[in-house]
Amino acid sequence: MMADGEVAYFELQFKPNAELVSTVRRFVSEFYERVCPDADAISRLALATHELLENAVKYSFDGETKLRVEVVRGTLPAMVAVRAWNQALPGHLETLKASLEALANARDPFEHYQACMRSSAKKTEGSGLGLARIAAEAEMVVKLEPTLDSSNRICILTHTGTWEGQAR
Amino acid sequence: MIALEDLSTSTNAFSSSAFESDGSLTLVLVGDASLTKIESMQAVIDGLHALATQMGTKAVVVDLTKLDFMNSSCFKVFVSWINQVQDAEPAKQYRICLRSNPKLLWQRRSLHALQCFAAELISIETI
Repeated sequence: MMADGEVAYFELQFKPNAELVSTVRRFVSEFYERVCPDADAISRLALATHELLENAVKYSFDGETKLRVEVVRGTLPAMVAVRAWNQALPGHLETLKASLEALANARDPFEHYQACMRSSAKKTEGSGLGLARIAAEAEMVVKLEPTLDSSNRICILTHTGTWEGQAR
Repeated sequence: MIALEDLSTSTNAFSSSAFESDGSLTLVLVGDASLTKIESMQAVIDGLHALATQMGTKAVVVDLTKLDFMNSSCFKVFVSWINQVQDAEPAKQYRICLRSNPKLLWQRRSLHALQCFAAELISIETI
């Protein structure tokens, strides 16, 4: 039996078809429900996990994606970190870095999201909204995390504001 | 009330249906609008906009009360549609009412973002 304050986590590694993303979101929601007492936070975390995972699946070179979710049990507000790894398609890493840099430099995540929506409206390919949506709607930090191994995989981390400083 | 078969679609875990009543169009979306549903969503929204423009309707309702989730790619379809209505000449514009389910918590933030994007066109009805 876990006590409040302990870190609960799981990892999933799969070579998906895109349909699996929604299945994973529902599974993750159920996991959050067991460890997090805040319904609004659960909804935000599910959205963030879905967008992060879908991004990883869409831009994966070999189709393989790994997901790790960590939650500090029983905390209000929720303390959660979600990481998604993939081997990114050539060229995507620069696009990703540019999106994350724009997000990091934004004065306000919601204003940035609205600006992304305006530029997305005329796009014919891709939405460019997923990461901005995590920041604005899920109210979570999104950043690229250095990977510790020698693979070409990249890791995107999203976490609640309360997560900063939490040991990995 | 007249059912609009051209706006009906049903794929794995996602469906749409639509009807016309007193000159107003209602689109009902059900299920999970995620990565594999983008083409269906695009076709339905394109069809809805074409019909609304052709009819000269002044109001379109999108019933999301049974839509469990919408990903950012399908959300973008809405953004582009709303932008098309914004760009239309005033006589061809119509208002869009998004019917929301308060139990589906993602809708509160996502629909608020759409309303902020086009406050002059979008209203949210919570039932």
